[in-house]
Amino acid sequence: MTKYRFLLLTVLLSACTAKTDSTAELTAVLDTPLNATISWHDTTPNTAGHAVEFATDPNGEYTTLQFAPVEQTAYQHPDLIPATTFYYRVRPYSGPTAEAREITLPPGELDDATQATDHGWMVPTTVPGSTTTESLRAGGGTPTDFHATIMHANGIRFTWTDHANDEDGYLLEVKAVNTTTFTPVAVMDPNINSTGLITLPTEKTATYRVRAFYWGKTSNTAHVKSGPDPDAG
Amino acid sequence: MFAFHVAAAVATEGTKMSRLLSRVRVFALAAAALAGMGLVGAPSAQAQVESGNWISYSPSYTVQQRGCGVANGLTFQLTCSTASGDQRAERRYANYSGSAARQFEGTFRVSSLAGTRISLKQTFNDSEPGPYYMLAVERGGRLYAVEGGATIATGATVGTSVRVNTVHRIGNNHKTYINGSLKYTVSSPGGNFYDKFGAYRTSSGQGPATVVWSGVKFWHL
Repeated sequence: MTKYRFLLLTVLLSACTAKTDSTAELTAVLDTPLNATISWHDTTPNTAGHAVEFATDPNGEYTTLQFAPVEQTAYQHPDLIPATTFYYRVRPYSGPTAEAREITLPPGELDDATQATDHGWMVPTTVPGSTTTESLRAGGGTPTDFHATIMHANGIRFTWTDHANDEDGYLLEVKAVNTTTFTPVAVMDPNINSTGLITLPTEKTATYRVRAFYWGKTSNTAHVKSGPDPDAG
Repeated sequence: MFAFHVAAAVATEGTKMSRLLSRVRVFALAAAALAGMGLVGAPSAQAQVESGNWISYSPSYTVQQRGCGVANGLTFQLTCSTASGDQRAERRYANYSGSAARQFEGTFRVSSLAGTRISLKQTFNDSEPGPYYMLAVERGGRLYAVEGGATIATGATVGTSVRVNTVHRIGNNHKTYINGSLKYTVSSPGGNFYDKFGAYRTSSGQGPATVVWSGVKFWHL
């Protein structure tokens, strides 16, 4: 094999097998021509969950499909765009949470009159008063003073004290009644310590907490190519 | 881009290989320049979805800012909570027609939504009044709803980016894919159409809202 053919082969092989030193191992399979299942195994200690991401270009841009809690190790991606290669990866995230709060909202729908009121409290903001001197990666930075204020029958404002100086962001997580798992419902930038949430009808009673998080090492990339368009003539 | 890197890797010596590298470089530069002018379609571009000899192109557009709408690059804001009147910050793209399928791709992130029912992307049939297709966000960014269709993404994670792909076959159908999954299909009449995206107060909605778009691309067959 000539030097140049060897170099070409090396380039091609490196493009198909994106290596990583992450402990998260990912596989992707087509269950049907237009439905895929992504599965992962991760031995990273103290992982809180994984962001499941996809792209249709081997060089990204990756889009988050779900922030999956740590108990979840698979994701089903249905009704795929036909004849398209999907690239998948997972990013583990870690970090401590503030003490959770259970909130029961008053009855009532999200009517037009309510929606017409001022909802400036929903915008993620940084309220002065936090002292951010602790490192999450060193085991500190737990958010404290987590408060939930009912703004109306379908809206809650959350505030907390930010102690971390190296977070990649904050996650607001919810656990609905009769469930055992917290699920992220909002992602916020670093240094945010106030945000609002409009609840879903299933969240009249639910438990909330906020997590200061940082990213771990991204998994390998796995890909599948979806089948042909069933509507094509 | 990948093919160019491979050609560069093998073309290390010899007149024949040097000429190959030169042709590849000239081609890449020329295509990029002409595609940016919207005059010539580039060869099949990376990341287009579905099968077919898709050609990337860059349609012209105008920026519409009305009421409290503010557009700054690909960041679109409604700075007021006024629940009436024309409040919008959008890009309005040039009309398209004919039998060749059209494809749109873009990623949006609702960085703040203190309002509700804000349209993010629309397709208009220029022969008829009102949007033919509309994708709007509501309930604090947790739900996406489509004109004439059911809610298509219940319990979305606020603050994350969302990928939108649409494939429009005039006279046949218009498909919407959210995060790679088919979410909505509607039949399409014939006619003259145009795309818009940004932030727009629907008839029952209001701001404030801030929406950031990225990765916007267009292709046609």
